[in-house]
Amino acid sequence: MDALLVIFITGLISLFIGIMKKPGLALSVNLIGLSSAFILIWNHANYVSMLKSYAGTLVFNGPQLYLSLLAVLLTGLILIGGYAIQSKDKEHYADITSLMMFSLTGAICLIGFKDFFMFFIGLEILSIPVYVLVGSRKAEHLASEAALKYFFTGSFATAILLFGIALVFGATGSFNMNEIGFAVMSGLYTPALMIAGVLLIIAALLFKVGAVPFHFWNADVYEGSSKSVMAFMSTVVKIAGFIAIYKIVKTTFGSLSDQWMYFMYVVIIASMFIGYLSGLKQTSLKRLMAFSGISNTGIGLLAIMNGTETGERSLVIFLIGYGASSLIMLFVSQLINEENDDISSLNGIGYKNPFLGVSLLIALLSLSGIPPFTGFFGKFLLIKDIIKVHPVLSIAAILSSVIGAYIYLKLILSIFNKDSNAVKIRLDWKSVVVICMALLLLLAGWMLIL
Amino acid sequence: MTRLLLFDPKYMEYLFHSGKVYKLGLTFEMGYDGIGIVMLALSNLVIFLVALANFNKEEANAPRFAGLIFLMQFGLNGLFAAQDAVMFYIFWEFTLIPVFLMLYWFGAKENNRTLLKFFLYTLFGSLFMLLSILAIGVYSNSYAYETIQYTAIPAKYACWIFSGFLIAFAVKVPLFPFHTWQPNTYSTAPMAGTMLLSAIMLKMALFGMIKWMIPLSFSALPTWQWPVIILSVIGILYGAFIAMREYNIRKVFAFASISHLGLIVAGIMVFTVDSLQGSIIQMVNHSLIAIGLFFAAGIIEQRLGTSNLNEMGGIAKIAPRFGFWFGVIMFVSLSVPMTAGFIGEFLLIKSVFEFNSWMGILSALTLVIGAVYMIRAYQMSSMGAPKITAFKDLMWNEISVFAIIAILALSLGLYPDFIFSIVKPSIKHMLEAVADTQLIIK
Repeated sequence: MDALLVIFITGLISLFIGIMKKPGLALSVNLIGLSSAFILIWNHANYVSMLKSYAGTLVFNGPQLYLSLLAVLLTGLILIGGYAIQSKDKEHYADITSLMMFSLTGAICLIGFKDFFMFFIGLEILSIPVYVLVGSRKAEHLASEAALKYFFTGSFATAILLFGIALVFGATGSFNMNEIGFAVMSGLYTPALMIAGVLLIIAALLFKVGAVPFHFWNADVYEGSSKSVMAFMSTVVKIAGFIAIYKIVKTTFGSLSDQWMYFMYVVIIASMFIGYLSGLKQTSLKRLMAFSGISNTGIGLLAIMNGTETGERSLVIFLIGYGASSLIMLFVSQLINEENDDISSLNGIGYKNPFLGVSLLIALLSLSGIPPFTGFFGKFLLIKDIIKVHPVLSIAAILSSVIGAYIYLKLILSIFNKDSNAVKIRLDWKSVVVICMALLLLLAGWMLIL
Repeated sequence: MTRLLLFDPKYMEYLFHSGKVYKLGLTFEMGYDGIGIVMLALSNLVIFLVALANFNKEEANAPRFAGLIFLMQFGLNGLFAAQDAVMFYIFWEFTLIPVFLMLYWFGAKENNRTLLKFFLYTLFGSLFMLLSILAIGVYSNSYAYETIQYTAIPAKYACWIFSGFLIAFAVKVPLFPFHTWQPNTYSTAPMAGTMLLSAIMLKMALFGMIKWMIPLSFSALPTWQWPVIILSVIGILYGAFIAMREYNIRKVFAFASISHLGLIVAGIMVFTVDSLQGSIIQMVNHSLIAIGLFFAAGIIEQRLGTSNLNEMGGIAKIAPRFGFWFGVIMFVSLSVPMTAGFIGEFLLIKSVFEFNSWMGILSALTLVIGAVYMIRAYQMSSMGAPKITAFKDLMWNEISVFAIIAILALSLGLYPDFIFSIVKPSIKHMLEAVADTQLIIK
């Protein structure tokens, strides 16, 4: 796929532009690259129904193309939104953008893979730049700690994943997802190797999306990384990870569901509750969002438990809702103050700045699943698909969202506090991102219905 | 206008009727039948009265306040006109947002705990309603009212669906064990918020019971009828007894409202033509008196700076116009003959009595005890030797609110057929549809 090449080459060019120490130039080159990639993908989405490249290891049909569009768009918005803060470091700005480009390449590979080779390569291209991005604020102790932690745990997860892939290869004799899926369906595999391999792969993937019991890195890594990088991690990386887990677990190993069903049952319920319960008393916004991310991961994982074929669409709507809300929260808090991420810094902001207040209100209500925002439609579709097969899971999802609503409501109350000494905040380019995301949250759900 | 003149309450009149099923099985249809148009008219009247009542308060100048009231009106109109279960749910949750913000911005200071309790309690309830709606969708592959109305759901599943709806509506009404959010919320909310909550948001739940909960899961009604009626009779007595001993004037009216609404819920659960007619006219009547009573309480609080009954007395002597109109509203809420309340309570008690005589006798006690707490509240605040020195008498807009309420209550009491003639055909139609569906199950 040519868009992949365009993005990759943009990343390379951006590295060389770094020599000139001109952040504005780096940003514009990256944006040009991203928009040409966007146009290329858009053309494919309109004129080519299915796109195979690299000897069939990457296959893009309808939903995959739209997901790639979404990933490119989100990356562009994150670049625009983070520019004001990140460009203060003139020496390294271009490095950061190029790392994001490389990571985006990996994300698009993960969206389109049809082969365990490409899957593994994509996952590594996605992860390694993110390890570096997390540690990009070199003066911060927390950032170095986070990068090291993320790198070590991440490499263990990769090792486990490789072991799992090897076992699955041993059981079926193939790397191709279609062939493996066929072997699983017709029972042509070695059971012991297969089951061990599947469980190892699932564990590694759950680590990537941050589900309980593989969630411990989440809060620390988010706290250490800058807000733009965190925005990247909670949108693009999360979308890619979820699509990968959906394709592998649901589509390929779907017939083996007896083996992994109960494991996933425990994982989902634990994620939903442990995330929100740990978030109850947090005072740091980043940690709070990390824990709410864990819970949302649990809800998103419902997509692989359902018996219908619509899971991917529901998952995508849910991820759009979650990603857009995270972007709004992160960028608004970056507008207020980059360094301080204590929740009390949001106190009274909404009352003095109605625009920011309404955006935050939309984001938080969407996260708590209140209609008519996109977050509601995501949860609604996910729960609708599983209510017949797993009523227990749907009740658990609803109970956990009540706990979540408590957390978000407390935030809303403090944001709209009348009696505080909040100041009027000067807006910059970030507000474009905030407006885009708020519109997305308002409209995406309805666009899907009508 | 011609639509209104040609309106035949037996059938559904569609405002939008695309007849198209969108992706995800959702439809976008809005319309009203006889019950719907009564509720639509009521909600718009309530919004008008609330706006009029707040006309000379400082809140009325805040753009936020007007915005929230209109958002509320949007949500209410959508809710009463929704002909699709998911749309009903969306508007149901949507109405929570403006009320929540109104309570937060214009209510008493330091009410965060109360607000969180109110919001989470109602959200908790309505999420179970969402589960029920989803379950209905799974059974009938559609969310459109005209389809799911005729879907036969087996009794075992209908019980679960019914209970999901019931949790949501019982929290909102509130029914006896779920009422703990109500008195505190009412007493800390701004006057407009209390009026909106009691006059129209509770009616959303009652309307939901009549239109959505019972017809859609009718085979569960025999199972749930007794428990709910017992709970509502407990609520009638409990609310009345607490109101007799309460000294905060707003809390007196809040508990009185629990007591009044218990009777309406019991009537709805009997589910006959008479009881439904009675409950609808009583819903209209309760909206009127709730506005009147909480308005009077709000005026007293605003001018005296206290809500404690012990510190009041003799208001009627200092402010005779207020004393007169407060007295009128009090008599309306006592449901003396020739007011709408009399017709409603008579029909309701009669149908509960026909259902079970003991329940009927117990619920008839509401008339007696109601007189006790209402007259007590009026006596302690307005009669006796004046304990207060100054009380500014009513303004024109306040008088007109009271007058509109009193005229409506009187005219409905003298000519209840105005509502019955609209409502009765659609109730009959609904009961026939339910009976048809039950035949399919058998």
